[in-house]
Amino acid sequence: MAVWDLSITVEELGPEAPPLKISVTSDLHIGGVILKVVEKSQIKQDWSDHALWWEQKQQWLLKPSWTLDKCGIHADARLCLTPQHKPLRLILPSGISVRMRVCFSSPVFRTIMGICKLLNIRRPEELSLLWPVEEKKKKKDKDVEGEVYDITRAPLPSSTIPTLANGMPAFFAEAPDTEAVYKMLAISQPPPAPETIAKLYRSTNIMEKAQINSRWMDSSRSLLQQGVKENDKLILRFKYYTFHNITPQTDVVRLTQLYEQARWAILLEEIECTEEEMMVFAALQYHIGKVSVTEQFVTSCPAMEDLDSALQCLEVKMEGESSADDMLETMTAPELHDYLKIFRPKRLTLKGYKQYWFTFKDTTISYYKSKEESSKEPIQQMNLKGCEVAPDVSVAGQKFCIRLLIPGPEGMNEVYLRCEHEQQYSRWMAACRLASKGKTLADSSFSSEVQSIQSFLAMQKTTPSNNTAQTDESINTHSLVSPRYQKKYKPKQLTPKILEAYQNVAQLSLTDAIQKFLQIWQALPDFGLSYIVVRFKGCRKDEVLGIANNRLIRIDLSVGDVVKTWRYNTMRQWNVNWDIKQVAIEFDGNVNIAFSCVTADCKIVHEYIGGYIFMSTRSREQSEILNEELFHKLTGGHEAL
Amino acid sequence: MDDIDAMFSDMLQEMDLLTQSLGAEAESAPLPKPPSLPDPPEMNFSIGFTDLNASLHDLEDNDLDALMADLVADISATEEKFATERDTFKESAPFAPVPSQPQSNFSLPASTDTSKPATSSNSTVAPPPPPASKPSKEELEEQIKADKIKLALEKLKEAKVKKLVVKVEITDGSSKTLMVDERQTVRDVMETLFEKTHCDCNVDWCVCETNPDLQTERGFEDHENLVEPLSTWTRDTENKVLFQEKKYKYEVFRNPQNFYLWKKDKASLKDMKDKDKEQLLEENFCGASVIVPDLEGVLYLKEDGKKSWKQRYFLLRASGLYYSPKGKTKASRDLVCLVQFDNVNVYFCKEYRNKYKAPTDHCFILKHPQIQKESQYIKYLCCDDEWSMTLWVTGIRIAKYGKQLYDNYKAAVRKAAGSAIWANRTIQASSNASTPSPTPKAKAANGHAPQHAVETKGPSNQTSFPPPPPSMDILPPPPPDPMLPPPPPLAPPAPPSATKVNNFPPPPQLPKSSFPPPPMDDLPPPPPPPEDAELPPDFLPPPPPSFTSSAGDMLPPPPPDPIGSFPPPPPAPQNFASAGGPPPPPPPPPPPPAPALAATTPAGSVRKVAPPPPKRTTPQLAAPSGGDFMSELMTAMQKKRTQ
Repeated sequence: MAVWDLSITVEELGPEAPPLKISVTSDLHIGGVILKVVEKSQIKQDWSDHALWWEQKQQWLLKPSWTLDKCGIHADARLCLTPQHKPLRLILPSGISVRMRVCFSSPVFRTIMGICKLLNIRRPEELSLLWPVEEKKKKKDKDVEGEVYDITRAPLPSSTIPTLANGMPAFFAEAPDTEAVYKMLAISQPPPAPETIAKLYRSTNIMEKAQINSRWMDSSRSLLQQGVKENDKLILRFKYYTFHNITPQTDVVRLTQLYEQARWAILLEEIECTEEEMMVFAALQYHIGKVSVTEQFVTSCPAMEDLDSALQCLEVKMEGESSADDMLETMTAPELHDYLKIFRPKRLTLKGYKQYWFTFKDTTISYYKSKEESSKEPIQQMNLKGCEVAPDVSVAGQKFCIRLLIPGPEGMNEVYLRCEHEQQYSRWMAACRLASKGKTLADSSFSSEVQSIQSFLAMQKTTPSNNTAQTDESINTHSLVSPRYQKKYKPKQLTPKILEAYQNVAQLSLTDAIQKFLQIWQALPDFGLSYIVVRFKGCRKDEVLGIANNRLIRIDLSVGDVVKTWRYNTMRQWNVNWDIKQVAIEFDGNVNIAFSCVTADCKIVHEYIGGYIFMSTRSREQSEILNEELFHKLTGGHEAL
Repeated sequence: MDDIDAMFSDMLQEMDLLTQSLGAEAESAPLPKPPSLPDPPEMNFSIGFTDLNASLHDLEDNDLDALMADLVADISATEEKFATERDTFKESAPFAPVPSQPQSNFSLPASTDTSKPATSSNSTVAPPPPPASKPSKEELEEQIKADKIKLALEKLKEAKVKKLVVKVEITDGSSKTLMVDERQTVRDVMETLFEKTHCDCNVDWCVCETNPDLQTERGFEDHENLVEPLSTWTRDTENKVLFQEKKYKYEVFRNPQNFYLWKKDKASLKDMKDKDKEQLLEENFCGASVIVPDLEGVLYLKEDGKKSWKQRYFLLRASGLYYSPKGKTKASRDLVCLVQFDNVNVYFCKEYRNKYKAPTDHCFILKHPQIQKESQYIKYLCCDDEWSMTLWVTGIRIAKYGKQLYDNYKAAVRKAAGSAIWANRTIQASSNASTPSPTPKAKAANGHAPQHAVETKGPSNQTSFPPPPPSMDILPPPPPDPMLPPPPPLAPPAPPSATKVNNFPPPPQLPKSSFPPPPMDDLPPPPPPPEDAELPPDFLPPPPPSFTSSAGDMLPPPPPDPIGSFPPPPPAPQNFASAGGPPPPPPPPPPPPAPALAATTPAGSVRKVAPPPPKRTTPQLAAPSGGDFMSELMTAMQKKRTQ
């Protein structure tokens, strides 16, 4: 058989080095070629991760037993011996970059499985990779790259389930710096500076939103095939908005990153919400930020869980034991009393605040002319159960008022209580809040409520100028809302609004708060819609196709209205004509639609629809094993066949 | 120390006296006055009557009787409770470490489900203070004293429970009067009403409140407490409580497409497949967050303090009701929030065209439940037609209550299904008992045990409906299958029914049959089963009403149970011969569960209450083996302490 020369570039020899030439015959298999190259290169190292890449054809030669003939390689082929895993800079949903080695040779779907395994994120099928937006004005901010966490040392993900140590995958527990990386992954980031938000903020029209979806990687091809190079920057995101079976114990990182993605989506107005909703989101962010500083992430190691539950049992038991004392205590419930000022706005009265002796007992406020008369009948009693409590506070102006709306048969009675100073205010405010929920002062949450009010008041004291460091208590409220509201309100004005929303969430634990945030996010009307600009067959103008987990919607670009909705469960089939780049879908009742994609490749649309269909099959089979084959079948298009 | 001791025994005595005197009082004049402490102000008053006296005058005789029965049952239950209490004292005294168990069991009726795990965990663990070795006399005394304290506190707690006498108007204009305590949910109250009215138990039944001043009506949701909203009525109120069928109550779950796909034309939705409906429900109610129907459209809003109504474009979101101000788009950022749902309820209104010059009569309002009169704090809204009103009101309810609504519905369906096949069940229960399946069944029942505790109502009435208490959303719904859920030994009312089973014709035909089985058989129909539910109160020792009843759960259960548990089997032979019909179950051999067995273990296990106290003490004394992690931990700790 004829012997011919094959030229192979070996990366390890440096970019300048000429390709190595080896003589081969056509029946030599790929494994043999690699062996020869390695011998010739005379470099001693672990070559096990290396494989041949065929540049002209943009293709990996991954089957060692195939002969050159079978692969169709002739003397003119330029091959390259290169590692399959290369470092890549991944931008996590939290916006933080991690440098890690990922697989450049397997389909992106498999690559993401590897990434997620290392990062300890379950359900990798919900995530994908996309190109970041090209940065235009580079001059200004070259140093804003931020910190990059390097975990390229991590072992390549093997097939084994990562073992846990100290509640984190064993790899992270090895050294303090890797432990820090895991903390970064598992704990939500402190609120960003308002400028950061403003800088990342861009126009939020629907066309803009559609742009982002043109940058997704193709799941069925490898990174190298898609032009990704070593050390490139890619974004890791949750792509499919159906989050299967989230369990806080095992999903610490997943939950945190999901929260980060949701938070940024809200802050950058990638998804719209109303002012009221924004204030709740802000309150939750504030709360999550505060709690995650104190309450470290819950460890997920099973032994720890046992201990946890044991401790809980013990706690319950103790409570059971001490219940007698507790109950006695509740019977002599604690009280508050102080001289406060009261004001009842009424029509045609201009009376100001009047001072009385106030007592707070159970859920009721009573007031008397003076302390001496407190044994007599009170002037009035107000039961706060079910009332609305709002702060009316200005730290600068030393005004500490509590506005109460107390329901009565005739309507709501508006009452203002004025306190002298912060401490007094926070105690009475806390009592009012608890009472409005039907809890008494004896409730265990009283002191924490007092504290959270005080820390919130502290926010007002900080001047908006020192908003760089977001440590401890001083958080600029502008960090919690989108630029629209940064413009609309001064921090001072925002504080009471956020505080009002905050009273409903102040008692949540970290995971509860995160889950609440996600719940409200998922309840937004536009949640889970990915937009793509398309042109429907027979139409002359561009329209927008919104793809959600259960439906497709057609949106009129000019008005922004939903024109039509099709649900997947009425879908019979969908086809892609790759030549004319058209997607055709048939629904029940002889409804046929066809469109070509304007802003994205039709493969992306195809993958979205197929991906969502795939996601919906998961609920039935409870197994943890990912049906990769099915995913590719549904999303692969012609490559999969 | 001695002082406290003395104080508490005094207190105990006093309270016993109180209850006794109450008993006497109740016999002479049926004043609805639960055992009370000196101080509880406005603890109970009656709803639907202008004052208490009037209420008593108003009551019809049978109502009075019923009320009496309730009260007596109440009292006897309490007394029984104390009796058993004393017994356990005596019983457990010889054993060294009297675990606080028996007493904490008493707390169960009063406390909520959460206390259940607490006590049961208690049970596995060795009693705290005294080491498992031989306790000294002092320790014993101390223990007893602690128990007394607990008992006293429990009594105080019980006395604090607020109760109302409520008059409920039924559709036919008649009324029923019942006593409702503050721990009862609307669902519980409806159970009682089902028994009292013999209506079918379909899911549309609804307890409503009407307010003649505002001309409003609102159906209480099944999970709400009834006492709380009623307590906020003014004393001279003319508000009423109604018990009616309301189609709209759960319509969204029967035809979710009409709500969630409301934009589509209705004809095309008409014959949607059940599978698709289910999927809709699954999508919208079973995800991480409940999805609210994306309602939007023009409604009329009555302007604050004015007589005019203004058209506005409204949108419903999970976070509240919004409208888009004039000249703005529908974009989220421009929306103005009219109201959020945390503190308001939604009410249907009647004849607002007259009252407020509304454009149509299809109005609803949003207000704080305590507001009873016209007020600027009420939001008045008016829709074009009735359907859109239903749409909006339902949407708002979904936004307000979320998944709870769906859980309520599922519980109601279980209940309805249970009552429909009730007749079937009696027979099947008997055949079931004869097949060797009781053990798994008992297990199953045990499975849901902890949640029930409070719910398992008076062993009599409630249990006559075999399906598990409906307010339990945690259970996987077993009822659809008539064979499974009825643990035969569960039903004390079985005695009457069991005897009747003999000639009871199997009515397998209509699974949807309404509660009173149709008397279409020519056989001399014995009192139909619903009667059974009614009867016990009359000639059996009155069943404890719900709240005290759980006291019955702990110890008293055994007596009625055995009877209930084995009668079913015998009737089989003739029964099936005469029935000759559709459900010919396996030949009924002599019941495998031996009477003795049935009398003791199954009853106990089915009842799935925390293991009875005496049992518990023994293992502790014998060996701290326990086996479970907690008890080991505890014993280790104790050892440490004693050393």
